Amino acid sequence: MHGSYGRVIMATVSLKGIKKIYDNKVTAVHDFNLEIADKEFIVLVGPSGCGKSTTLRMVAGLEDISEGDLLIDGKRMNDVEPKDRDIAMVFQNYALYPHMTVYENMAFALKLRKVPKEEIDKKVREAAEILDITQYLERKPKALSGGQRQRVAIGRAIVRSPRVFLMDEPLSNLDAKLRNQMRAEIIKLRQRIDTTFIYVTHDQTEAMTLGDRIVIMKDGYIQQIGTPQQVFDHPANIFVAGFIGMPQMNFFDAQLIADGGHYSVKVLDATMELAPEIEAKLKAAGVGSKAVTLGIRPEHISFSGENGPHCLTGKVDVSEMMGSEIHLHVTAGDRDVVLRVPTTELSAEHKAGISYGTEVHFTFRRDLIHLFDPETEQNLLPLENA
Amino acid sequence: MAKQPKSAMSRALVRRETISGYLFLLPSLIFFVGFVIIPMVICIVNSLTDANMNTQGLGNFVGLKNFIDLWKDDTFLEALKNTFVIVIVSVPTVCAFSLWVSSAIYKLNGKLLSAFRCIFYLPVVTGSVAVTVVWKWMYDNYTGVFNYVLKSTGLIEKNINWLGDSKYALWCIILILFTTSVGQPIVLYVSALGNVDQSLVEAAQVDGATNFQVFWKVKWPQMMPTTLYILVITTINSFQCFALIQLLTSGGSGTNTVMYYIYYTAFKLTEKAGHFGYANAMGVILAIFIGLLSALQFKLAKEK
Ligand SMILES: Nc1ncnc2c1ncn2[C@@H]1O[C@H](COP(=O)(O)OP(=O)(O)OP(=O)(O)O)[C@@H](O)[C@H]1O
Ligand SMILES: [Mg+2]
Repeated sequence: MHGSYGRVIMATVSLKGIKKIYDNKVTAVHDFNLEIADKEFIVLVGPSGCGKSTTLRMVAGLEDISEGDLLIDGKRMNDVEPKDRDIAMVFQNYALYPHMTVYENMAFALKLRKVPKEEIDKKVREAAEILDITQYLERKPKALSGGQRQRVAIGRAIVRSPRVFLMDEPLSNLDAKLRNQMRAEIIKLRQRIDTTFIYVTHDQTEAMTLGDRIVIMKDGYIQQIGTPQQVFDHPANIFVAGFIGMPQMNFFDAQLIADGGHYSVKVLDATMELAPEIEAKLKAAGVGSKAVTLGIRPEHISFSGENGPHCLTGKVDVSEMMGSEIHLHVTAGDRDVVLRVPTTELSAEHKAGISYGTEVHFTFRRDLIHLFDPETEQNLLPLENA
Repeated sequence: MAKQPKSAMSRALVRRETISGYLFLLPSLIFFVGFVIIPMVICIVNSLTDANMNTQGLGNFVGLKNFIDLWKDDTFLEALKNTFVIVIVSVPTVCAFSLWVSSAIYKLNGKLLSAFRCIFYLPVVTGSVAVTVVWKWMYDNYTGVFNYVLKSTGLIEKNINWLGDSKYALWCIILILFTTSVGQPIVLYVSALGNVDQSLVEAAQVDGATNFQVFWKVKWPQMMPTTLYILVITTINSFQCFALIQLLTSGGSGTNTVMYYIYYTAFKLTEKAGHFGYANAMGVILAIFIGLLSALQFKLAKEK
């Protein structure tokens, strides 16, 4: 596919100490540092208002950069006009030109670049083919469904073979089914057009499935940069731990007890040993006995048949049947704990759900416990690749 | 089968709604029919008669005689020519100027923008007689500010009789018409420009458009409905230019327009002695021209 899009394009993007202060003195992005490799797919993710769009718009040149440097292919771009940056952008509301047909929308950028007519035609039809919108080329955007408009917006970007491809929540206006479908198509598309992507979303599923690396942001600050696996297995802090993963990670106030080379945690009235590799890391980091915030993912909690000193006991509050698994909300002490239990692990009487008030005993998988400093909210275990 | 009762019911409902709809419309409908439709019909019927101040009622039916006579009436032909000159000059200049001004000011901050809007809108809200009187003084042969300035800067040697010289008079009137016409288009264009979807502009910038291209390829098509409205109202205004002529030249020095000639024929005691039928025929012709031009503008705008 590469060849048919003409020139070989290379684009690394680096953001160095980027800061954005809006006119109303709102600082939307603080000290943003990121090196994006050629052909990498980067996803910016975070809650609403965390500065994702602002960052993307600074890369596009639609927003001035207050401080720091933006480099594309090693060239400083801060003062280069959007039209000269050779980037394409897909907007959240698609921003299709309403007075132009789908064909004209897609041809617009090429026409402005004075590309010969036959070449424009070839590129537009090729992109339309990829996106399966050939039969709509003569229509106006008004006469298209949301999903079709979405494809046109992507088509308008890919005909240009830009150096960098920017997308700002391109799927957020679609219904759940179409969103899943388009997500899969973006993955396919990415393999075909093979360029550098920066993708903004607030949906963690999109972030996890699409990104080579994910940048998690909050209040204008980067919380963590890493592969989907890294941010899932080693969240840098409590925010990332809570943000990535569905249902959310459970958090407990706990006491870390250091006893020689061995560590254990006391949670509510249970005391759990930690796995040797965690112990080794804690020891290497020189952590002593202290109050900690313990995090455990719902799928890393297991039932135990009978009570024991390493077990927590609670009463079932709500049991949500999800098909292949049950999401169990259990009240333990004064805490609501969520468990994810595969239905295959349930006894026959509990297959359809566990009734309200049932007493259950459970424990945490000791190699998958996360420990955070309650003050700084940072992970106590050093991250592997950081 | 199951559908029938439902649709029958909804038809009854529709009928009831239609009736109450018309009832609500009735008061304005009465005024519209009484003061617009009926006079229009009377005007058309009247244009086919020789009605004048001396005849009783509608006068005698003369067929298309008035219309035929008009094309032999040099005064009418001159008035028609002047009217077209006014329309052809003022409509494009008003549109272009207001587009230019509004694209320069629409991004200004609130206060400055309001100030500009106010300045340009002032001539619209000021009574046209007051405005015209001021202009009449400025154009004055002996005491006018134009002659004073031009003479003191040495651009002219002798006073120019602006409104009395047929070389200048029509252009002087067009200038006044222009200043009183740009206010509304500017206000409309400013709001139309402000309403252009910003993400389209950004999309075009990212697509590689210069500011000039963004304007003509994205903003301008978005403003087409506003432009059409401005074209039509300016055209109608220009065709119906009357008060200025009446107050400044009374149709003299080559400034006669169809509108003024209608008034002159109908209400001034001329040798034709208030020839209503003849004046109405001119009115019909004017209406036809306005209608045709507006239709043409609609058609062109649609094609865009
Ligand atoms: N034009 C602007 N002027 C002033 N403040 C702005 C402007 N645009 C955004 N902000 C502020 O900057 C912060 C970041 O906004 P941004 O649009 O980047 O968030 P986001 O992460 O894209 O959120 P969302 O997921 O809701 O789109 C917000 O607090 C917002 O209020
Ligand atoms: Mg956003």
